[in-house]
Amino acid sequence: MFRKIINFSVERPRIVIALVVIALIVSIAQYPKIKVDTDPENMLSEEEFVRVFHHEVKKEFGLYDFIVLGIVNEEDTEGVFNPETLEKVYTITDEIKGLDGVISYELMSPATKDDIEQAGIGAVSFDWLMGEPPYTEKDALRIRDRSVENPMFYGTLISEDAKALCIYVPIEAKDQSYRISNEIKDIVNGLGGAEKYYITGLPVAEDTFGFEMFKQMAISAPLAMVIIFFLMLGFFKHPKLVVAPLLLAGVTVLITMGVLIGMGFTVHIMSSMIPIFLMPIAVLDSVHILSEFFEKYQKVGDQKKAILETIEDLFMPMLFTSLTTTAGFFSLAFAKIPPVQVFGVFVAFGVMLAWLLTMTFIPAVIAVMKKESLADFGAKEEHTEAGLMSRFLLAIGRFSIRRWKAILIGTLVLVGISGYGITKIVINDNPVKWFTPKHEIRIADEILNDHFGGTYTAYLVMEAEDAEGELFKEPDMLRYVERLQDHVQKQGAVGKTTSLADVTKKVYYELLGGDKKNDVIPPTRQAVAQCLISYQNSHKPDDLMHFTTPDYSKVNIWFQLKSGDNIDMTRVTEDVEIFMEDNKPPFPVRSNWAGLNYINVVWQNRMVVGMLRNFMGSFVIVLFMMIFLFRSPVRGLVSMIPLTVTIVFIYSLLGFTGKSYDMPVAVLSALTLGLSVDFAIHFLQRAREIHRVKGNWPDTADEMFREPGRAILRNALIISIGFLPLLAAPLVPYKTVGVFMFLIMLASSAGTLLMLPAIITAIPGIIFDEKEKPFCKCAYCMLTAFLVSLTVAYVLYGYTKTSWTLTAVICVGVIVLFAGICNFVARHKICIIQEKEG
Amino acid sequence: MKKVIFIIAGILMASGAAYGSTAAEIIDKANQATYYQADDGASQVNMIITDSQGRTRERDMTILRYDEPGSREQKYFVYFHKPSDVKGMTYLVWKHPGRDDDRWLYLPALDLVRRVASSDKRSSFVGSHFAYEEISGRGTEEDTHELVSEDDEFYTVKSVPKDDGSVEFSYFITKIQKSDFVPVKAELYDKKGKLYKTIEALEIKDVQGYPTVTKMKATDLNAGGHTVSEFTDIKYDEGLDEDIFSERALRRPPRKYTKR
Repeated sequence: MFRKIINFSVERPRIVIALVVIALIVSIAQYPKIKVDTDPENMLSEEEFVRVFHHEVKKEFGLYDFIVLGIVNEEDTEGVFNPETLEKVYTITDEIKGLDGVISYELMSPATKDDIEQAGIGAVSFDWLMGEPPYTEKDALRIRDRSVENPMFYGTLISEDAKALCIYVPIEAKDQSYRISNEIKDIVNGLGGAEKYYITGLPVAEDTFGFEMFKQMAISAPLAMVIIFFLMLGFFKHPKLVVAPLLLAGVTVLITMGVLIGMGFTVHIMSSMIPIFLMPIAVLDSVHILSEFFEKYQKVGDQKKAILETIEDLFMPMLFTSLTTTAGFFSLAFAKIPPVQVFGVFVAFGVMLAWLLTMTFIPAVIAVMKKESLADFGAKEEHTEAGLMSRFLLAIGRFSIRRWKAILIGTLVLVGISGYGITKIVINDNPVKWFTPKHEIRIADEILNDHFGGTYTAYLVMEAEDAEGELFKEPDMLRYVERLQDHVQKQGAVGKTTSLADVTKKVYYELLGGDKKNDVIPPTRQAVAQCLISYQNSHKPDDLMHFTTPDYSKVNIWFQLKSGDNIDMTRVTEDVEIFMEDNKPPFPVRSNWAGLNYINVVWQNRMVVGMLRNFMGSFVIVLFMMIFLFRSPVRGLVSMIPLTVTIVFIYSLLGFTGKSYDMPVAVLSALTLGLSVDFAIHFLQRAREIHRVKGNWPDTADEMFREPGRAILRNALIISIGFLPLLAAPLVPYKTVGVFMFLIMLASSAGTLLMLPAIITAIPGIIFDEKEKPFCKCAYCMLTAFLVSLTVAYVLYGYTKTSWTLTAVICVGVIVLFAGICNFVARHKICIIQEKEG
Repeated sequence: MKKVIFIIAGILMASGAAYGSTAAEIIDKANQATYYQADDGASQVNMIITDSQGRTRERDMTILRYDEPGSREQKYFVYFHKPSDVKGMTYLVWKHPGRDDDRWLYLPALDLVRRVASSDKRSSFVGSHFAYEEISGRGTEEDTHELVSEDDEFYTVKSVPKDDGSVEFSYFITKIQKSDFVPVKAELYDKKGKLYKTIEALEIKDVQGYPTVTKMKATDLNAGGHTVSEFTDIKYDEGLDEDIFSERALRRPPRKYTKR
């Protein structure tokens, strides 16, 4: 069937090319339908509890996602509290209110906040903190003193050192934050003066990331293409032919994205990375073809014949490398994170598409080429012997065979050290750290979190089990909240917390005459209620409803964190949990978390943990494929060695360098798995074919380190170098992809070219046994049984809702079943005969 | 045709100026009709504050009013019945048109009287959508008034504050019934010229011969949400003692009016 298709491609190349062009046009026609979605919240499905709850909380307490504008004045001795700066703050506040998409009446700025303070003996005043810009320095300093006195402002609106203040700009939708932040920049840029302005906040970081990501898609991917082109040109010295793999990669990416868009999926942060993942995979396949064709062409002489022979040789390894990569990515489809599923399925689709195109489009392109244009193409008979690469390869070949012991011991040591490194891996993510340290968002983030309680937000919502009793007017309950805040704030990760308890205390002690000894929760329920109703005589009575509900059955504690690291957020949730365990609340309450920072923790944890599980599963599935491909569990296991070492090595580097195991790294594990095994497949498959002809390992090895070795090395060089420009990208995930590509190629090619020959030298029979009767060997049988049970376990646990216990029972069942089969098979006539002969 | 309309309009405008009332006069009369009926007044007030999500809060109080004879000075006394845990809270306001009011507040749970200072009268009245001065009246001399239109039933007056800094609106438009000068609707526009708040009279009744708004509604068009105030048991010319409106009375509210 496939042979027919390939023959057809060579015989009727123009039809194949035309079909590809039509598919391409149809796909590109889908592009106008593109829907872009950069909201990381969509990493969770809309029905997800934490998201539903988050939106309930936002609605219930009138909360909005916000952009943080920080204004810092380091030059004035009084920091930002001088008439000039404050007048600017006033103007900026006013102008931001007029921006589209800004919820002006909820804007938090010194110019929009109401304050309560002493106003002479026996009097309190409810008044704007800054109703109008101050005229004198004294007025400015009074605003400072008042802000410092108010726990709702201190550390939130103004910094602890009075050098900085913040404007919190609530926005209607997160996907507008990049635009709004630019408009805010336009406002502040025209002002001049000693003030410095910084914009941060998760929505901006996330939306900006989305924007930059698409920019990178347009810069990094094409740049990688250009470099790959020149590298290939260097190897094959034939521009026209070298364009073919790039065309293929381009067509693969364009069609895949076209299908994705055409099917109505949004282009999300994840799916925008499809091109950068697909390109190396697509190029890899065709480099193998070109490489082999390059070697064969001059020997065979006829381009059609040469390409058919090439494909004949490469069909199986290519099919399997593609299948393993597909398996790696397809496993993402079960990650329970919708965008990751889409990503996994479409990369898997793209990989198979690339394979199909490699089998049809490349032969077709070669077939339509004029014979004369290929005249100079290809390796001239044996003269490449002298080439640098060939000499290098032959040296490696000799080394890996002579020093096989050293290599195997070295490998074990490496795996040992790597294993230690892996234990040091820190699972953590932080969307702001997706930007490089010099990116303005990172800088703003650092400076503002240095000055303030923190720009990262989470909300802890406590809800009375008894919704009727207006529970949060109870002094005991408020004191409990106060103690919880105290406790959590002492643990370090939290910069500041604000709650109904703080509001109540502030009003109470101002009413009592501003004596700090009265900075406590009022003694009775009536006193609490009367303080709070007095507070509502302000210009902004609804501010109270950010902290509680009208029936006082719930409170919202606003947590400000100094970092967006998952680890820190997780620690805070644990601190709260421990506190609530050790200190039972005086009345029964439920509590739950909301806020963007918390949502990120939820999906990132799920992603990282889910990915890890899927990764294990895919590993087993790839192993299974290898067993099938090589028709032996042992050969299957051997083929997994370079891959395993590569993965262990690369991930140990995360542990040693302290780089967090984050979302991009988690996704890359699928790529690592898919790509790392490729070289081993090619190597073993070719070695077995050559062995059939040569009959012994030394001769086979000699052959292996010529053309097949060169193909592996060329591929490794092209991909690893081709993706290095990603290191210059301003986005860390792109850098990570670049580094990973480099490491995968380096480690897996080294693993394949050193370890596999060493293993084969040690035990040649492990790869090339003549008498293939694996059924008879009980060990083989049991191994297969074990693997099948693993696969079953993986499928059951990962993809269905089966519990661990049931899964374990089923697995034991599978093993017992196989033991029975093994026993039965071993008694089979052939085996008995064979045993007697043996 | 256009010309004809123009001429008619011109005549109407001229006649308005000559025979009708000027904007300032209209507003003055409206202010009188809303806040200065009779020499004093007592009323039970029930407020339902509804937020944008339809959640409600209730305020229930007694409001007493005393007019200083021969001036525009007024005194208000407010006694809270509900919410139950603020029962007994009292407010006292001495309204001084043209300058800051004097206000006091008494919290029974703390047995505490405090004078409340405020530079403006735009803060919320006990968490409702009404601003202080929308309950007690805004000084007519604080704005310049302009009659923007009139028909058989209503005057429509635009009022622009003289001191722009002390208020959050840039102007407001009041629709006033010609028959009795009771304002039926006010629309407040923010600094960007956007309508953000309305106050409507939902029910006007004759009480002891005085046309009286007995139900009014303030709506916040920004955040959503509204407050409906209902006035019942209204009594005019009660002969209220001025002593009721003293700091001392905050702790000892007049039982005759506060007992239910």
